[in-house]
Amino acid sequence: MTKSDKPRLHPKVREAKELMDKGRMDRREFVRIAALLGVSAGAAYAMGGVTPSFAMQADLPFPDADDEAKSGGTLRVGMQVQKMEDPATYSWVEMSNQTRHTLEHLTFTTPDNVTQPMLAESWQANDDLTEWTFKLRPGIMWHNGDELNADDIIFNMTRWMDPDLGSSNIGLSTFASMVEEKDGKKVMIPGSLEKVDDLTVKLKLQKPVLSVPEDLYNYPTAIVHRSFKPPLSDNPIGTGPFTLTNLKVGERCELKKVTETTDGKPFKYWGGDVFLDEIHYYNFDEDNQLTAFASGDVDAIYEFGIEQFELAQALEGDIIEARTAQTLCCRMQISQKPFDDIKVRQAVVSACDNSVYRELVFQGRGDIAENTHVSPIHPEYYELPELKRDVEKSKKLLAEAGYPDGIELTIDVGNTDGPWHQTVCEIMRDQMKDAGIKLNINVMPPSKYWEVWDSTPFGATAWTHRPLGTMVLSLGYRTGVPWNETHLASKEFDEALDDAEATLDVEARREKMKKVEQIMQDAAVMVQPIWRPVFTIVSKKVVGYPPHPTQYHQFNRVWINS
Amino acid sequence: MVKLILRRLGQMVLIMAVVSFVLFLVFDSDKFKKQIAVNELGGFGLQTLTEQEYQDWLSSKGLDVPFYTRYLDWVGNVLQGDFGFSFEKNTEVGPLLAERLINTGILAFWVFALMIPIALTLGVIAGMKEGSAQDRSVSFISVLTTSMPEIATAIFLTVIFALGLGWLPAKSAMTQGFDWRQLVLPVATLVLYDFGYVARMTRASMAEVMTSQYIRTAILKGIPYRRVIMRHALRNALIAPFTVIVLQLNWLLSGVVVVEVFFQYNGFGKMLLDAALFGDIYVIQAGTLAAVFVAVFSQIISDVGYTLLNPRIRFS
Repeated sequence: MTKSDKPRLHPKVREAKELMDKGRMDRREFVRIAALLGVSAGAAYAMGGVTPSFAMQADLPFPDADDEAKSGGTLRVGMQVQKMEDPATYSWVEMSNQTRHTLEHLTFTTPDNVTQPMLAESWQANDDLTEWTFKLRPGIMWHNGDELNADDIIFNMTRWMDPDLGSSNIGLSTFASMVEEKDGKKVMIPGSLEKVDDLTVKLKLQKPVLSVPEDLYNYPTAIVHRSFKPPLSDNPIGTGPFTLTNLKVGERCELKKVTETTDGKPFKYWGGDVFLDEIHYYNFDEDNQLTAFASGDVDAIYEFGIEQFELAQALEGDIIEARTAQTLCCRMQISQKPFDDIKVRQAVVSACDNSVYRELVFQGRGDIAENTHVSPIHPEYYELPELKRDVEKSKKLLAEAGYPDGIELTIDVGNTDGPWHQTVCEIMRDQMKDAGIKLNINVMPPSKYWEVWDSTPFGATAWTHRPLGTMVLSLGYRTGVPWNETHLASKEFDEALDDAEATLDVEARREKMKKVEQIMQDAAVMVQPIWRPVFTIVSKKVVGYPPHPTQYHQFNRVWINS
Repeated sequence: MVKLILRRLGQMVLIMAVVSFVLFLVFDSDKFKKQIAVNELGGFGLQTLTEQEYQDWLSSKGLDVPFYTRYLDWVGNVLQGDFGFSFEKNTEVGPLLAERLINTGILAFWVFALMIPIALTLGVIAGMKEGSAQDRSVSFISVLTTSMPEIATAIFLTVIFALGLGWLPAKSAMTQGFDWRQLVLPVATLVLYDFGYVARMTRASMAEVMTSQYIRTAILKGIPYRRVIMRHALRNALIAPFTVIVLQLNWLLSGVVVVEVFFQYNGFGKMLLDAALFGDIYVIQAGTLAAVFVAVFSQIISDVGYTLLNPRIRFS
């Protein structure tokens, strides 16, 4: 549907509205579903009868411009400054943050966890969610004066599915449903992308996917100009309000508001008012960002860890905390000894008390996780009975598995999200000791851990936030998928997940998730004790700095009250 | 003398050749290539590639070529002044290396400019009268500051002068261009760590000289004490510290990683650490060559200086 055409309401939107009206669906969940199925953000909020946590500007995915906002100034942010080679192969959020002010996405998942149209004006899915039609906003201008059109989108999506490029986008449910393996490579199935007209593109998937719009705000899905050749930093043509003026990897990345196109004509940004003149990222390693903020080198930082929380509280600034579905999976690979014996895995899980990690690691912040990789903030979360630690059961299971005198295990930990990973493992070690399990903790540098994350028998892997529980289960636990680090291969689980993913009614889906989560728990593939919060801090003079559960920077409405 | 210098330079070239060859050999392993892939594509990204796609990716980075071919190409390029391209920083290694060496050079200059006079003065004062109050005070302070690791000194200084009193910036990333105030804490940390070591060496050397017969004779002849110290004792007493000081050059180049990383100062040590963690082979190679050069060159200065200061020493 488009703004100009007569809207065709997706039948599942009507279904969802009925469910909401009957009180069977949460209003905010309705907004999320309606937005996913192509209802414009404003209309979705209006239909749902809820007010967004930030005021929406009509037809735009960004908050309303602040009446008191002042133009001008430079926002200085402390973050690791990384190279900007090819957005489709980005591997770290930081490089995408440097890019997000220049290149934009088809969609935009707000801090509310609602996905809105961004470069796309609207989208429409067929009834069985296998065909998705995206209509672009007309009149979006590239920095070189060209207009954004369907060729740009086809160019980008074709690149993402080019096996020679190595983009991780191919692992997303949307694009995994458009490729097939040929001669040892995954290639796009011919006809998967169709240019309907200059501003409309159709995606044809091999199986139903609900999360297409959400996949399109995944950080390597920034839309580049159809003439793009890497590196981006050499020719940063974008549609965003800022352009790159200076990049020194490991030192600084400077972006400046675009006022005219590269051929000297006035540039009009489609997304309304933008207040900052410049955004400067200065390279500070994660441990040093808070100190840099303290001494006034920067106005905001990417992140600080829980171990720095007290220091942050003592500083003049606003701490911004985001509740997330980011987590640590201390997972066992069930195809390797001794974890091929479920009794050993059950013994490990039974020996641990998930309820204490939140207090011990995050001083009471975050959420307790239950070894299912579905978070209480996921809309389809089903609350299973509370996990109970049972040391005696653990000992008994070990004895039955042939380890009556206990067992010695080693877990690899890379602290890829900070030293709290190690703290979690240390608590596990102390708890498991009571059951006769001697846990050795093998700490390794983060990059080393990423070399073995998928092959180590026992490892602590960080997983980032995803808006839906089904998304992460699909990516990480289905039989044979590339990111299945546990090597779980359960037909029953796959079928239960299929069933849940095809169910739009959130209450019904939640009921179906009971089975999915129960299978996960019973398989005892991991100790997943905590959903972590993320923290950042901004100077009091910075207004409108948005929190985001994935730490994505979108500074369209940020201004400096100097 | 010329022979000595030529021999040392010959040794330097040999060391460079061996070290760079070994590094290429070590970094040719599958594990190392995977390290680069992980850093470039991310752990999750890498896992989405099939084996064939991974091999193609290696090929696109030039990592599928046998290491001896890559090594020979690299040697040829280095001889023409081309140090290669950084995977991580996406830039030519030559200019990057030059810039980082200059930054560390600025740091080293100020450390030397402060440390040498302080250390020599205190060492001489302490060594003049062994066992005196001034000797004990200097020795105590020297041992105390030197025995504190650089990281601890850096934290103390930051907490007191940057976060507590707010007199100085906590970090030295020079985000707004060169700022001498940002140099104060890293220089102070290094001076505090290093001066005690040199002062103790000077003290020991001075104390030994002061017990020698010619000094006793000079004093007994009635030459003023000040003149005995300045004219007769100092020259001999400074031979040993001179060698130590010159060898600090080497330490200041690659041994100050902790300080550079703590203060986020973009110097040579930080560059080397980043490169090692990323697996940025051409930066590691260039950095190693620079480190070997400085190590050997400082030894040459040390040997030559030693010869000039002490005519009894002859190298043949």
